[in-house]
Amino acid sequence: MSGLRNGSAPMRSIEDDSDVEEEALVADYKEQVQYEDGEDLDQVNSMTMAQQTDDIQSRLVAAAQPLDFSAPLEVKFQSYDAYCNLFHFILNSEGPVDLEPPSHYWAWDVIDEFIYQFNSFSSYRLRIARQARENEEERQILRENPNTWGCYSVLNVLYSLIQRSQILEQLNAMKRNEDPAAVAGPYGSKTLYKMLGYFSIIGLLRVHCLLGDFSLALKTLDDMELNKKAMFARVMAAHFTTYYYVGFSYMMMHRYADAIRMFSHILVYVSRTKNFQKNAQYDSITKKNDQMYALIAICVAFHPTRLDDTIHTALREKYGDQLLKLQRGGPESLPIFEELFKVACPKFISPTPPDFDNPEANVDPVDHHLSVFMDEVKTNMFSPTVKSYLRLYTTMDLKKLAGFLEVQPEALRSYLLVNKQRTKQLRWTDNGLLDGEWVNVSDLDYAMQGDLIHISEAKVGRKLVDWYLRNLSRTYN
Amino acid sequence: MDSEDPQERPEEITSIINGLERYNPEAVGNLEEYLRHQCEHRYTDSNANRTLLKLYQLNPDRVKDEVITNILVKALTCFPSPQFSLAMHLIPPSILAPNSRAELPEAIAKLRELSNQLQGSQYARFWATLDSDDLYADLTTDIEGFEELIRIRIATLISHAYREIEMSILEQWLGMDDADAMKFVTETAGWKVENGIVKIPRNPENEAKKSEVREDVNVDMFSRVVRRAWEETA
Repeated sequence: MSGLRNGSAPMRSIEDDSDVEEEALVADYKEQVQYEDGEDLDQVNSMTMAQQTDDIQSRLVAAAQPLDFSAPLEVKFQSYDAYCNLFHFILNSEGPVDLEPPSHYWAWDVIDEFIYQFNSFSSYRLRIARQARENEEERQILRENPNTWGCYSVLNVLYSLIQRSQILEQLNAMKRNEDPAAVAGPYGSKTLYKMLGYFSIIGLLRVHCLLGDFSLALKTLDDMELNKKAMFARVMAAHFTTYYYVGFSYMMMHRYADAIRMFSHILVYVSRTKNFQKNAQYDSITKKNDQMYALIAICVAFHPTRLDDTIHTALREKYGDQLLKLQRGGPESLPIFEELFKVACPKFISPTPPDFDNPEANVDPVDHHLSVFMDEVKTNMFSPTVKSYLRLYTTMDLKKLAGFLEVQPEALRSYLLVNKQRTKQLRWTDNGLLDGEWVNVSDLDYAMQGDLIHISEAKVGRKLVDWYLRNLSRTYN
Repeated sequence: MDSEDPQERPEEITSIINGLERYNPEAVGNLEEYLRHQCEHRYTDSNANRTLLKLYQLNPDRVKDEVITNILVKALTCFPSPQFSLAMHLIPPSILAPNSRAELPEAIAKLRELSNQLQGSQYARFWATLDSDDLYADLTTDIEGFEELIRIRIATLISHAYREIEMSILEQWLGMDDADAMKFVTETAGWKVENGIVKIPRNPENEAKKSEVREDVNVDMFSRVVRRAWEETA
């Protein structure tokens, strides 16, 4: 843990047993009742236990409230301090604090809002740093407080909540069909800690992804089972967020089949349940919903596959034109890839404060990740054309095909090798999200004998069960 | 060869990667030492190297230029896996901006070009690029057997796609001339050469066998219909 505290993280270790949380309470209370200067604190210290509990309950509720997007910098700083105090109180009091979460969704909302504010603060700070000679006052404040909403403090909070709650041990016990309570410990057996710990795992998935560490993001979920029985499935926004970030991470690891599986799963789920979800929670996910359709379009362009009917229809409605251009490939498809990626990617952040003295040196992390991703897009952009021709033949002369495509034979040899390599993908079967089996994900395969291309296409027998069932239920109705 | 979690990884590195120690700036030393070992002994531990990049990301004052480039060169030898991209995603964009550090952005841009050529299977062009600038020799000098590691990867990938290939093409792709190329093909790869044609043994990848995918039908798929029929008659 020692490393986590380096960035002068706000949390103190349990050993230096201080009255910080009491002081914080006092400070809060003092603010609320607006003491005149000079009045002594005795009155405050005599605050009854009941008052203290009321106060902490209202802070719990406040922590889950969304901060206004346009809140002034001062409020953003205050909000950070409020989170630090609250988490310090929860984590570093003597023994577990005896509190019930205000609602079922509370723990998710707190972690979600905490990370959202971290994310938007980082983006805001970068924006200010890039605008030289404007907002001099804010630049100065941000420059002087590099550790506010710092990466190390945010990671520290999430890891500490996970450790305190013994949630990983509990999840592992559940996997083995044992009683999680046996390994929960004094903290983890309380709902407040258990839920905070649990959603902190999803919080970590998200933070790692925002920082561009996609394999670590997936690794974070090693102990969690992704299925409808998972705890997160009871909170729609959590369910949704998890699949978005897992799918996105797969895409960035070039595991398109797995990414499509993740996006499809959640999009089908949403489309089936949307009639029951007409509430605020559902509204907040419509934007992410569209983003995932954009990501599916990108993944399908890399890895053509049959999608679920509902998804296919919705995809054509939302991104029909773009999808067509992506699937055609070639240089004309590149701007579309860029456009969709920018619309649908998470708002990446830079882990360290920007350089206020050199505004030009502060590259937007979104542009950085996009440019690395586009390298992969460019590598694959001729695969659709090559494949569309290969489908027409069982054997083909390479030079003749190069003539059709109007490229040099050497270029075509490269395209063929690229496409062949990309049809082999690691695909998840069970265990951790990073595990998988190397499988041939395409129905088209080929091998070269000198300049002669031998092509074989896996015949897909007609799929009748789905058709039969659908028509059967139609006749019933 | 597993370049993500290799067997060579010592216990102490495993505990850094899997524990909170991965955030301790002091772990940088161990991970750099481990990278040096990888460079000298021809194996790659991309997972550990990303842990090191992550520490650099969080503690920019610790960054060592040559360590970053060595990690990238190591990742190059793992093509066509996404290791190079995954490493690139962890390099802070501020480092890549021109003018910030005169040499590092240029070095990374050069390595990225090499990576794109390898990913794009433009092997002849890769060797030409490598020869075109002395900077490449400087960048790869710490990595023992760099060229041979690349050649072995290329040969493996060719064996997955080809049953036969002209020796003249293979020479360009391996970046070698007559005798050297012949030695590599017959000894290192163990392939036979007949009249300028290289015969590559059959393997599951270069067969391109026809297959048929049939739909798996089982009783469970009909369970809802059956239950419904049952409930409606009951």
